[in-house]
Amino acid sequence: MDTQWPIFEVFHQASRGEPHVHVGAVHAPDGETAIMLAKEQYGRRQACVNMWVVPSGAIVATAYEDADLFEHGTDKSYREAFGYETTKRAKAVGDAGEI
Amino acid sequence: MVQVTEKWTNDRPGDAGYEDRLAAFEARVAEGDKVEPGDWMPRDYRDQLIRLIHVHANSEICGALPEGTWIPHAPSLKRKLALVAKVQDEVGHGQLLYRAAETLGKPREEMIDELISGKAKYSNVFHYPAETWADVCVIAWLIDAAAIVNQAMMAEGSYGPYARALKRICYEEAFHLTHGYDMCISMATGTPVQRAMLQDAVNRWWKPIMMFHGPSDKESKHTAQLMRWRIKLKTNDEQRQEFLRKYLPKMFNLGLKVPAEWNLRFDEKSKTWLYNEPDWEEFKTVVRGSGPVSAKRLETRRLAHEQGRWVREALSAAAAGKKVPLPPTANVG
Amino acid sequence: MTTMTAPSKLDAATKPAVIDLLYRLADDGLIIGHRNSEWTGIGPILEEDIAFSSMAQDKMGHALAFYRMLHELGEPDPERITFERGPEAFRCCSLVAMEFLSGSSGQGDLCNNPVRDELLYRGDWCGSLVRQFLFAEADAVRMAALENSAYEPLAHLARKLRGEIKYHTLHGRLLMEKLGEATPESGERLQSTLTLLWPHALGIFEPTRFESALAEAKICPPESELCDQWRSEVTPIIAKSGLKIPARAMPHYGGRAGKHGPELAALLEAMQRVYMLSPGATW
Repeated sequence: MDTQWPIFEVFHQASRGEPHVHVGAVHAPDGETAIMLAKEQYGRRQACVNMWVVPSGAIVATAYEDADLFEHGTDKSYREAFGYETTKRAKAVGDAGEI
Repeated sequence: MVQVTEKWTNDRPGDAGYEDRLAAFEARVAEGDKVEPGDWMPRDYRDQLIRLIHVHANSEICGALPEGTWIPHAPSLKRKLALVAKVQDEVGHGQLLYRAAETLGKPREEMIDELISGKAKYSNVFHYPAETWADVCVIAWLIDAAAIVNQAMMAEGSYGPYARALKRICYEEAFHLTHGYDMCISMATGTPVQRAMLQDAVNRWWKPIMMFHGPSDKESKHTAQLMRWRIKLKTNDEQRQEFLRKYLPKMFNLGLKVPAEWNLRFDEKSKTWLYNEPDWEEFKTVVRGSGPVSAKRLETRRLAHEQGRWVREALSAAAAGKKVPLPPTANVG
Repeated sequence: MTTMTAPSKLDAATKPAVIDLLYRLADDGLIIGHRNSEWTGIGPILEEDIAFSSMAQDKMGHALAFYRMLHELGEPDPERITFERGPEAFRCCSLVAMEFLSGSSGQGDLCNNPVRDELLYRGDWCGSLVRQFLFAEADAVRMAALENSAYEPLAHLARKLRGEIKYHTLHGRLLMEKLGEATPESGERLQSTLTLLWPHALGIFEPTRFESALAEAKICPPESELCDQWRSEVTPIIAKSGLKIPARAMPHYGGRAGKHGPELAALLEAMQRVYMLSPGATW
C-alpha cells in the first residue's frame, strides 16, 4: 500500500456572509494538493467562494456517548425570549407595541 | 469526522453487556435515529455495512469503465460533455463511498486492493460489455434508474456517513437518469439505425437489468438483519417491482420491447409484474467474477492502478519533503 | 484606446482573420479536451481523475463557445464543425493531438476499444499532465490578452473563462513542482516528456497569414509576443520543478495551416464514428 494518505475535511463557504459548511473529505498528501483536488470533487456543482481543508487529525471532537453533555437538566427558558409572558403583561399596563 | 475509532470492543454476542447495548442500539435505530462513527455498534452491523458500502463503491468505479470507453465516440458535443460529467460523477461517487466505508475502519487502499485482486465484489451489471453507443444510452437510463430505486431507499438508512453520501449521490443520479432518458428518447424517435441499435441494446441488457436488484430475499441470509438495523429498508423484490412499475410503461411508450422469453406480464390482482424467474446461479457466477468481461474489468483497474503508481509515490515523496535532483546526464538536447 | 467591434463591423480584412483565430482556439480546446477525457475512469488517483475530467469538460465547453461564435459569423453549426470536418480543416496545434504511448502494442482486448486498451497498456499519463501544464499556461496568456480584444464577443468570452483557466494553471503548476523532483522516476519522466513536448508547445504560437490584420485591428497580439509572455511564465516554474528546457528546440509548425500527423486523423475517425452512422440525426 503506497499511498494511504491523510484525510482532509473540506469546508465550503457558499457566498460571502455565509458560514463555512462541512461537505466531505479527500485523501491527499498535503494541504495544497487537498485544495486542488477538493475544488473539483466538492466544488464542481455547488456555489462556493471560499474553501478550507483541515487535516482530519487536527479536529478535536466530543464522543457521541457524551452527547448528554449538551442536554439541559433543568428548565433554562429564562434565557430565551420565549420563556417570558412579557407581551401579555406589557399590554396589561398599556403598552400593546412590540417589545 | 474522527478517523477510525478505537472502541471496537464488547461488540459481539457473548461479550459483557452486549445484550443491553444491542437492545438500546436497536431501539434507537428503530426510531429512525442515525448511527455515527464513534457510536457503539454491533460488530455485525459494522461488518455488514463495510461489505455493502465497499461493494457499492467498487460498483461505481467499475461502472465508470463501460461508459468511459465510449466518451471519445459520443456523437454530439452535448452528449460528449454530459458523458464525461456522468463518468466523472461515478468516480466521485466511488470516492465518497470509500470514504464512508473508511469511517467504519477499513482503509481505502485496502478496499481498492481487494477490488483489484477479485476478493471484493461489484454489481452484476458491470460485468458486461458496452458494445454500442445505444448500450451507453440504456445503461444511463435503465441501469441508473434501477440503481436510483436502490439508492433512494438506502439514503434513508441508519448509518450517518453512508446516508449523507447517498443524498449527494442521488442528487447527481437525477442528472444521470434525465440524461439517459433524453438519449433513449432521441434514439427511439430517431432514424431506423438508431431505433434498431437501441432495441438491440435493450435485448442484450435486459437480463442483467432484471437481476440488478439481486435474488429474491428468501434466498438471502443477510436481509432480515439488514432490515432490522435499517441498513436496507426494502427487499430486493420490492425494489425490482418499483423499478418495473415505473419504467416498463416508459419503455413500451417508446416502442421498446422486452425479450419474449421473460414472459413479462402485469398481474392486476397483485398489482405486480410477473416474469419467468431468471437463473440466479448465473447471477452468483457473474458477481463472483466469471461474467463476460469480469476479468477484463479487474485487469483494467489493476493496470490503471499500476500505471499510476509513480504519480502517487512521487506525491507522497514530495509531501515528505524529499527532493531528488536530476543527474546531469538527463536528456535535455 | 481600443474601440469595441461587433461581429457586424468586421470587414474583409478582419473577418477571415477572426474566423481563423476562433477555429484555432476552438480546435485546440476540442482536441485537448478530447485527449484529457480519454483518461476518465482510469486516472492515477481517484480525486485527480475527477480534476482532469473537469478540465476536459472546461476546454470542450470553451470549444463549443468558440464554435457558436463561428456559427454567428456564417460558419456551419457546432455539431457539423465538430463531426463533419476532416483533419485538413482543423487548425489546432500539434501539441493537443499527441498520443503518449510507449512499448510494444497489441497486448489484448480489455475494453472492446483498441484506443482505450492502448491507453491502459502503453499510455503515459505524464504526457497528458505536462501537455496540460504547457497548454494551460499558453491559454492563460492568450485569454488574458484577449480580454482586451477589440472584437467585443471575444473579449467578453475571455473574461468569463478566466476562473476556469486559473484553475488549470493552478493544477499544472502544483503538480509540475511537486513531481519534478520527487523521485528519480517522476523526475526522469517529466524531463523526458518536457523535452519531447517543448517544440510542440512552441508550435502553439505558430504565426498565421492573419497576424498583421489581427494585430493592427487590436483583436489579438502577434504570436511572438504571446510566446514570449508564455516563456516568461513557464520558465521559472520549470526551473522550480528541477527541470530543464531543451536548449536547441525548433518549433513544430503546420497545425495552424491544417497540416497534421496521423494522430489527429485517427482521433477524428474515433470521434466522428458514431455520428457518421446517422449523420444529422438527433442523438
